[in-house]
Amino acid sequence: MKQLKTRQTKFWIQAALIAAIYATLTIVLGSFGYGPIQFRIAEALTVLPALTPAGIPGLFVGCMVANILGPYGMLDMILGGGATLLAALMSYALRKRPILVPLPPVLVNAVVIGSMLYYAYGVPMSLLACMATVGLGQLVSCYALGYPLLKILSRYENIFK
Amino acid sequence: MLRDITLGQYYPGNSVIHRLDPRVKIIATMAFIVALFVVKSFPGFGISFLALAAVIAVSKVPVKYILRGLKPIFLIIILTFMLNMFMIDGEVLIKLGFLHITREGLYTAVFMAVRLILLIIGSSLLTLATKPMSLTDGIESLLKPLRRIGVPAHELAMMMTIALRFIPTLLEETDKIMKAQQARGADFETGNIFKRAKHLIPILIPLFISAFRIAQDMAMAMEARCYRGGDNRTRMNGMKLGKIDVVAVIIMLLFLGVVVAERIWL
Repeated sequence: MKQLKTRQTKFWIQAALIAAIYATLTIVLGSFGYGPIQFRIAEALTVLPALTPAGIPGLFVGCMVANILGPYGMLDMILGGGATLLAALMSYALRKRPILVPLPPVLVNAVVIGSMLYYAYGVPMSLLACMATVGLGQLVSCYALGYPLLKILSRYENIFK
Repeated sequence: MLRDITLGQYYPGNSVIHRLDPRVKIIATMAFIVALFVVKSFPGFGISFLALAAVIAVSKVPVKYILRGLKPIFLIIILTFMLNMFMIDGEVLIKLGFLHITREGLYTAVFMAVRLILLIIGSSLLTLATKPMSLTDGIESLLKPLRRIGVPAHELAMMMTIALRFIPTLLEETDKIMKAQQARGADFETGNIFKRAKHLIPILIPLFISAFRIAQDMAMAMEARCYRGGDNRTRMNGMKLGKIDVVAVIIMLLFLGVVVAERIWL
């Protein structure tokens, strides 16, 4: 019983630190982190749910915090957070197939953020073009950086215990 | 390199807006965003602009400070404006070679730009006049009803607080790791985008290890102090709805009423 409680606190604190890493990376490497042509390096972290379930709330809150601090305000915070949460749950479900793990964040964000930019911010490209530009940025950060990150981090599994 | 990053946009003050209950401010901001999408005409934007200007004046946040926050998206607004202006077909007003400005294009361009600017200023006012910590308290309290369907409201708010607290620590850590790797010959500045992305791995792995070490220590420290989640927890500065909050809600409802009336009758 006691053991269980400790593990629970640790789960949430690990999730909180994952959120902090996500927000930090978005800020440091952030010149293209927001807006229509997004290339958010921090999105590479979306592979984390495959390694630890703490990654799911971690990414959700991380994205919300990053967007609170970003220039787009509350709409981005709610929609971006929601999209990230959905993608993280899907990545977690796909954790047995590493090659598919970075796929949900690419697709979900392309659809949700693409539509947000098109409908709410009136970016004057077609809906599909909005989705494609967001998706392309996501593809690079999730597959070119996220996938190798997943491979390497799974060698250090003990840090997630 | 990491020295000149300002975190968040909170502008310290003691105005009525600063002192409002964070829950009221969050809901009012949401209502304002909804109102901007209800509005379909320029008089409606005029009303929204006046309301926003009044709130800014009361909050005593300098306009210069607010506009500085707009800078990163200024380019996007201009780009959107230009593209809307030139791309939409209709009655031609001015012809410049192969480019032409149409009445419809000009209308859409101005309409979208005004909405975008109001949207961004309106929603950033929330973070300008609310401490991040009271913002997370407000979010926790607003999420509380969702606990019934299993949303861990307290835990999510605690995570936000901890994440905000540790961003500066991790920024420093990232800076240190980058310098350490550069001293070992790491190169972050050349190569194409794929290569550059790959070069970040030697930063990310140590960052993870150090963050998880912090998590380990902190969980242990919290356990040692008998942390047991949100139930029966007390706070140093509790939230209480006061008179100014009631007044703020009434003003907000009036504003929504006017905007809806404008949409229906004008």
